[in-house]
Amino acid sequence: MATDEPSWYGEDSQVSQVRGRLFEAVCLTATSVGLVSVLVLLLYVARDAFRPFTGDPSWALTLPTFPVLGSITLVIPGWQLVFFVTLLLPITLLAVYYYRVDSPAGEVAYITTGLPIVGLLLAGSLFVIFAELFAVKAWFASVLSLAAAGAVIYGHRRLRSEAPLERLVLTVVVPIVFVLGVPPVSVARLVGLPKRVVSLQELILKLPYLPLPSLQLLSTLTLPVAAVAGWFVGQRRDSRTDGIRAAALVVAGGALGLLVEAVTGVAAPTWVIIYTVTAVPVAVYVEGIYRRNEGVSGLAFPVVLVGGTLFGVLTMRVLGFSGPASWLDWAYLTSAPNTTPELAGIYPALVGSVMILIVIIALTFPIGVGAALYLEEYAPSSGLAGKFVTLIEINIANLAGVPSVVYGLLGLGLFINRAHLPGGSVVVGGLTIGLLILPIIIISAQEAIDAVPDSLRQASYGMGATRWQTTRNVVLPEALPGIMTGTILGLGRAIGETAPLLLVGVAASVRLAPAGFFGKTGAMPRQIFAWAFEPKADFRYGVLAAGVVTLIAVLLVMNATAIIVRNKYQRDA
Amino acid sequence: MSTETAPDITTSPSGSIRERLYRYTLFACASASILVTLGIVFVLVTGAIEFFGMYDPVAFFTGTEWNIARQQLGVLPALTGTLLVTILSALVALPIGLAAAVYLSEYASERARSVLKPALEILAGIPTVVYGYFALVYVTPFLAALGLPVGTFNVLSASLMVGIMIIPMVSSLSEDAMSAVPDSLRQAGYGMGATKFEVSTGIVIPAAVSGIFSSFILALSRAIGETMIVAVAMGQSPQLLQFGQPLANLFESNQTMTAAMIQLVNAENASGVIYQSMFAIGLTLFVITFVMNLASNRIAAHYREEYE
Amino acid sequence: MTQNEMTDSEPGIDSQTTTTDEAASESLLGTTEIADDRGADAVSSAETVIETRDLNVYYDDVQALDDINMEIPENQVTALIGPSGCGKSTFLRCINRMNDLVDSARIEGELRFRGKNVYDDDVDPVALRRKIGMVFQHPNPFPKSIYDNVAYGLRVQNMDVDTDAVVEESLKKAALWDEVKDQLDRSALDLSGGQQQRLCIARAIAVDPEVILMDEPASALDPIATSKIEDLIDELAEEYTVVIVTHNMQQAARISNKTAVFLTGGELVEFDDTETIFENPEHQRVEDYITGKFG
Repeated sequence: MATDEPSWYGEDSQVSQVRGRLFEAVCLTATSVGLVSVLVLLLYVARDAFRPFTGDPSWALTLPTFPVLGSITLVIPGWQLVFFVTLLLPITLLAVYYYRVDSPAGEVAYITTGLPIVGLLLAGSLFVIFAELFAVKAWFASVLSLAAAGAVIYGHRRLRSEAPLERLVLTVVVPIVFVLGVPPVSVARLVGLPKRVVSLQELILKLPYLPLPSLQLLSTLTLPVAAVAGWFVGQRRDSRTDGIRAAALVVAGGALGLLVEAVTGVAAPTWVIIYTVTAVPVAVYVEGIYRRNEGVSGLAFPVVLVGGTLFGVLTMRVLGFSGPASWLDWAYLTSAPNTTPELAGIYPALVGSVMILIVIIALTFPIGVGAALYLEEYAPSSGLAGKFVTLIEINIANLAGVPSVVYGLLGLGLFINRAHLPGGSVVVGGLTIGLLILPIIIISAQEAIDAVPDSLRQASYGMGATRWQTTRNVVLPEALPGIMTGTILGLGRAIGETAPLLLVGVAASVRLAPAGFFGKTGAMPRQIFAWAFEPKADFRYGVLAAGVVTLIAVLLVMNATAIIVRNKYQRDA
Repeated sequence: MSTETAPDITTSPSGSIRERLYRYTLFACASASILVTLGIVFVLVTGAIEFFGMYDPVAFFTGTEWNIARQQLGVLPALTGTLLVTILSALVALPIGLAAAVYLSEYASERARSVLKPALEILAGIPTVVYGYFALVYVTPFLAALGLPVGTFNVLSASLMVGIMIIPMVSSLSEDAMSAVPDSLRQAGYGMGATKFEVSTGIVIPAAVSGIFSSFILALSRAIGETMIVAVAMGQSPQLLQFGQPLANLFESNQTMTAAMIQLVNAENASGVIYQSMFAIGLTLFVITFVMNLASNRIAAHYREEYE
Repeated sequence: MTQNEMTDSEPGIDSQTTTTDEAASESLLGTTEIADDRGADAVSSAETVIETRDLNVYYDDVQALDDINMEIPENQVTALIGPSGCGKSTFLRCINRMNDLVDSARIEGELRFRGKNVYDDDVDPVALRRKIGMVFQHPNPFPKSIYDNVAYGLRVQNMDVDTDAVVEESLKKAALWDEVKDQLDRSALDLSGGQQQRLCIARAIAVDPEVILMDEPASALDPIATSKIEDLIDELAEEYTVVIVTHNMQQAARISNKTAVFLTGGELVEFDDTETIFENPEHQRVEDYITGKFG
């Protein structure tokens, strides 16, 4: 066979891959550059906030004198080693085990660790709300009034089922009258009206005898949660009696709080709140895990986490080590700002941020989802109306790109200067930032609704369902996880926005948490911005770092929740 | 034809009050967005008109000095400051973002993507005030340690952080554009014996160039509107570009339009004209970013038609 | 069913005499048996429940249906056959105005349901669809429980009935009850394809429509599931009027009483008793199509 011509196979015919490999390496490096540099910066912040390298460096081992090297002293940092052994090592081993051997257990571990954390955060927010916003009895009275309003509407439906317009009016008017009174207190105070119709809620509050706070919480917080938990368990086990039993157990556990108070002195309401918000969801989840019997070993993870930490703390006490002199500690999270760095805290700003977030949720979620539903389900795509709808969509896309500082100007010019709302208040801050993230919410809700397969809609319409019936019964339930994900990510953006707050006059430093929604407030990013210009180095490197870490921690929790929700429902689909 | 049991198909469940009510409510929600735009335009335009009634617009747009104390309100320094930051951040973000997009779209394995994509999302989620803090407290000393003569507030570290902040925007939008290139084009390239490098750079990128370009414009628009990073890390002293010593621009403090607006809000002697200048600057900013966003959408839409 | 079966598949060759009362054995399809058990009486005394007059449908500028004139009899199975893209599904979706959901569709002419033109201004398509049900090509159960799927129509139309009883009866009629009666709370998505399609049928009949439209209901199913569905259609026709679009000519021959043949351009070429269409069609084009010369 002639071998003069070069063969198309074999060594000589290889096409050079060098250029491609180089290009791939360059691209990967470029991708990593941004990520790695931010990671490094985050580590720096964490170091400055927690100062892990301070603390007792005990156990200085002096090795015997070597001929050439002389005497060597090994300094082993004390508390780091303790925690390395009791916490880090077991956790890493478990994580590797889950990754290699038992994947479902890994997911279980993730959720059983995350759920209590989220639950504790929620409980913490409830504590803050009850401490700063309104007392437990106000909550109690509101829930009772709402329940009464619901009963009235339900009764109307029973007695006069053929009067939808009446019912509509009632549904709007009765809750407002019962809960807020006409007009609501804050508005009345703002506008200066002397006379008003008192609400049922206020009447309840004026009663001479109200049940114990713990009982109030039991009935209005634990009872609904017990009902939901019972329904969940009943569905999963396919048995109504099991569900009722579960609900009864939940209520009983809450009632245990009274006993706990007598024995340990922990306040009963505290027990009820933590129990209801943290323990119950975890218990429901764990019950599901046991029943399905997959990934049970994942439950070991949080146990090891908590146990290891406690064991480490105990060991440190015994051995006499002291922990790091961290800037970010419990005192920081619960104190007010101060000109002395060591005493400064972020608490009022934290509360302010949370309250602003509440306003934002109340404003943007309904309007955003409503707009998305209209644009996806109802909007005509041809004719004059169709052109108007296209205009709306272009408009929303453009609003998403407007700089945040311009939204601040909107808030300043419109809400403060024209509408004369109090400058720097929770309401104004919430409205301004709410408008900022409204386009984002609309766009992500649209994507979620668009992802619902059209065959489902066809099936529903084919059976003679109206547009609203189809939207509410078929489209919305399917799209809801995607909508939630988008909303949570949007809220994450909202909590970090600073420029609009600066323009609407949110204070740099507040000593107290805001007094109601129309009161002056601070916010975390605003506080951080103020601290950045403090002359003292301790502020800049210590307190500021702690604030940044707090903000990032809140964001990480929100992002992680969104990602978990997205993954869970993408897999179920 | 059987008509004895003619069913009543003229009742109208769709026309009931309930249905109409839901339709109108949802329509109102959608129209709220128009109200927001109208509100922004209204506030900006009325504020600017009031300002230009008190200060000569020509002097505003061509003035080269911005000094509140002496009532000199020329916007050029702030404008050039914004321009400087935008260009520098673009030098950082556009190449890195594009490279990241190419890697994610063409080279990355499933596992790599599952790590890198969320990581980039997290990058996009960090608040800008935190980026500003990073620039001030870590990047500037780092640059100083490298030997660069940077001041406490300088343009370079702020621009670097702005660039890093907009990388995720460039990468995710460009990656979307590249993923939208039909696989059949890549197959055609491979079928002719092209290497992966040749397919990626010769076929995919040119096919996606409009989407990539539109992502660039959007990212630049974001950089122009960025406020907190520049406010924290760059300081408040507006200066015109010094063409004699180009590098000096990077190492000294400067001020962008957005930072100028922040400064005006906090200004002690906020008399009428100074206060109102905020709206004039805001209007300028709004027009610039609006035009850029519109251009970006147009470009993307125009070339997307080629595939559908 | 007849005992005569063709042994050679030469189309059109008349080698045996058959009476018209017995099952046609000389089908152009060869050995397929043609449904005849409803007999001549049922065919001639059927009332017309749906009637079209000069029906034309356009998607933007493309004509999908060309001057359709047809009368669909009550309580019978009418099959619409023809090659892909000839307007069969379009016609079906005109009957219950599902084409309204397509923006580019334009309908001209009349389509009367029990004498009333469904495209009149005072007709609400939603009300129409509560009288005319539809089963789609790919099973599309809602991501809810089996029970909730069947009960969906009842709830949406606020029907004052004993929901449990109606659900049970619909599932029985759809020949699915025995398989799912213990697991009504299970998600409908856990069922097999054939079961899902029967669930969709149960869902459609739960609201007691007068007409059931079926758009290639068995095309996505395996042969065993398909034959179950065909048996089902047979029984359904005793209570409801069934109009079914199918690609499968043998299927049309097996289950339908009347057959309409749609050919290129959305033209209704022939509409007659099934036996006639498959044994002795009037138009050469129909014969060519059935014998497989094209399409």
